[in-house]
Amino acid sequence: MREIIAAPTPGLDLRRHYGHHQTPAIRAGGLIFCSGMVAVNPETGEREHGTVTSEARRIFENLKLLLESSGSSLDRLIQVHAMIYDRIEYDVLNRLYRQYVPNAPPARTVMSVQIEAGFKVMLDVIAAA
Amino acid sequence: MTLQRDVIAPKNPAFDMSRNLNLPLSSAIRAGAFIFVSGMVAIDPSSGERMHGTVAAETRQALIALAQVLEAAGSSLTKAVKINVLIYSMLEYNNMNEVYREFFPDEPPSRTVCGARLSGGSKVEIECIALA
Repeated sequence: MREIIAAPTPGLDLRRHYGHHQTPAIRAGGLIFCSGMVAVNPETGEREHGTVTSEARRIFENLKLLLESSGSSLDRLIQVHAMIYDRIEYDVLNRLYRQYVPNAPPARTVMSVQIEAGFKVMLDVIAAA
Repeated sequence: MTLQRDVIAPKNPAFDMSRNLNLPLSSAIRAGAFIFVSGMVAIDPSSGERMHGTVAAETRQALIALAQVLEAAGSSLTKAVKINVLIYSMLEYNNMNEVYREFFPDEPPSRTVCGARLSGGSKVEIECIALA
């Protein structure tokens, strides 16, 4: 059973706004697989470029909306691929990250990659449904 | 209870990258409800050699290889739940996206795309988790 999870707010539908050929998230086999999350305004879809801290905060707030709309939550993250534009900001990301997953944080891999549209952060998440 | 873990080999041995490119990986593993597929690159279906081409051409060949591996596991692209696309430059995002959409006409899987330095001169690599 493979269930499409629609964007909980209009701004989070990146397929509609930017033509990214993807679904916000899919529920399957007790897990929720989210598409890479970037800092966009949850109502308008407008890109909100900023610092690693401001982008990561926006992403976590959007992720919260997405997961809670599908019956999950930030407490139920299993695995996170945290992508940043430059390893030099590793500690900056961590400072914000630990605020959102204070207890029993998920498994995580951080990698330095090129992210779409000049963003500094992207989170790729698998959560328990 | 121990979860069963099965190694999946593609039917066409040309797509078996561990054999042809001497890599310590399985093309795919079935575990529980899921198939976990290794990053697939553009492979020549007759020789098993890497095919180097444009991002559009490599995306097409990598997705053909991915489909073959999923089919060998009794799954298919329509059962994919999560896809990660790695491309050598995010400037080529749209060139990848245009070919990609042909393979997923409706209800595309969740996806993450990022730019990374790939091995062996490939421009595109695609990994996947699918329902078995």
